Amino acid sequence: MIELVNRPAVRLVLVGLLALALQTTFFADLTVFGVVAQVMLCLAAASGVSGGSERGALTGFALGLMFDLVLSSPLGLTALVYGLAGFLAGYIESLSVERPWWLSAAVVGAASASATIAHPVLANWIGLEGWLTVRVLRIALVVSLVNAILAPLAVPLMRWALAIRRMERLSPPPEIFL
Amino acid sequence: MPRYSVSRRRAMLILALTTVLLVTLDLQGNGAVSGVRRVFSTAFRPVQEAVRVVTRPVENAWRGITEYDDLRAENQVLQDRVDQQEGAFIAALATTRDAQELLALNGVDNLTDISSVTAQVIGEGPTNFSQTVEINQGSNDGIRVGMPVVNAAGLIGKVTEVFANRSIVMLVTDASYSVPVQIVNVTEIEPTSTTTSTTSTSTTTSTTSTTSTTSTTVADAVATVSPGVAPVTTVGGAASMTTIDPASVDLSSLDLSGLVPTPPSVVTIAPPSRPESITTTTIDIDDLPAVETGALRGRGVDRAPVVEFIEQSSRFGEVRVGAIVVTAGGSQSLAPRGIVVGRVVKVVERLGTAGAILEVRLTARLDTLNFVRVLLYQPTVSR
Repeated sequence: MIELVNRPAVRLVLVGLLALALQTTFFADLTVFGVVAQVMLCLAAASGVSGGSERGALTGFALGLMFDLVLSSPLGLTALVYGLAGFLAGYIESLSVERPWWLSAAVVGAASASATIAHPVLANWIGLEGWLTVRVLRIALVVSLVNAILAPLAVPLMRWALAIRRMERLSPPPEIFL
Repeated sequence: MPRYSVSRRRAMLILALTTVLLVTLDLQGNGAVSGVRRVFSTAFRPVQEAVRVVTRPVENAWRGITEYDDLRAENQVLQDRVDQQEGAFIAALATTRDAQELLALNGVDNLTDISSVTAQVIGEGPTNFSQTVEINQGSNDGIRVGMPVVNAAGLIGKVTEVFANRSIVMLVTDASYSVPVQIVNVTEIEPTSTTTSTTSTSTTTSTTSTTSTTSTTVADAVATVSPGVAPVTTVGGAASMTTIDPASVDLSSLDLSGLVPTPPSVVTIAPPSRPESITTTTIDIDDLPAVETGALRGRGVDRAPVVEFIEQSSRFGEVRVGAIVVTAGGSQSLAPRGIVVGRVVKVVERLGTAGAILEVRLTARLDTLNFVRVLLYQPTVSR
């Protein structure tokens, strides 16, 4: 049983289900300045910060796919956006060798804002009209601020979920060898 | 990062292609996608309920801290409004009954004939883009996809997903929502008094009642007491008349500027010479409120829904601000005729044949939904 729980995929599913339940109940009801906080997006970006761009993309895609399964929007749309958020967060984080907590929080916030803007753009691209309004900017601002605040909790959580060991975490990011 | 054998570019490509495949399958209406969604929702339901139970006290405490003052002020305002509307409600009851009797006499369906299921809103939409709520009734209670959802104030939306014991309701403000509607230009006159009557058919005494002066929505059956369309009703039978003090009727919300008084229409139900004789009805068509049809479309939470594709009718004339918007019904419409949607608050003229766009203020407050009714109605073509 312990062996099973130690697997990153199992941990990710557990964390994802819990976060999804929180997203669809607690965070859906309690809005911040009229905007729903996006904890799933926060975890997707935090996975990129924790594990790099590749792992962030895969984890973001998985989290987004779980979110898609309870939404009425086209399946795969949120997965794509969250995958991009994870990739972007990992890439930005890899540009710096020093990784203070505030930088991680800023990266999570920036990736969240980008994904929030990208979401209605992609939706409009596949034919969902009406999402791309000026309100998107306000949503992006609030979501990025909330996710930046949640980042100090989300980054260690995703580090645990993805079973990232200390040595691996402190090693230089793979992007610098490219 | 040697844990993954595939290269980064290949992984990204696979993710992108998977996304395209999933989106394509879903937009094509693939049954497997909806099946997966249904299975996941069923499996996820217990987790969601458990988290809801755990987080509810925290949520309530937070709401108590942050919204107490607002709720108290709102409660006082609402209490005042309830007191004011009580008089108007009583005035509307008699007219509602008359209208229902007329509809029944003419064999016309009305909303009271449609069964409904009362449900409670148990969750808000988890995203900032699609406007949905979750209700605690599902297919076990007879709810099907497409059924209209209303509350005491008017139309709320339609059911878009149904599970065994819960459903997802797309709100009127969602950008994907659309429903055929009618626009009723209401002509209003300066109110003088509010009079209502109750009738009995046991005797042959005639009674005349005139001038209703407010517009009211009644919870079970939507009825409009049209100001200015003053019905003169002669009904065979004794009548007891109740006069309501005009001061008790709230007229502050009515926009009476620029309104033209019209001559009263006449609805006469001839008194029967014998108890078993047939009642005849004469309606002056020209004096009924003119009706125009169009399509109501949501535009997101921050913008008012609009009515487009309005048919041009010379009898209707120009749409006025304050015109009432109700569902149009029809064999293919998902909503029956007569559900109140709202009032026109802005008329945006467009050049050419495009016609005007009407911005509508909804009568239902979608941000504070609690109990709603799902009308178990399906259009004729899908029965």
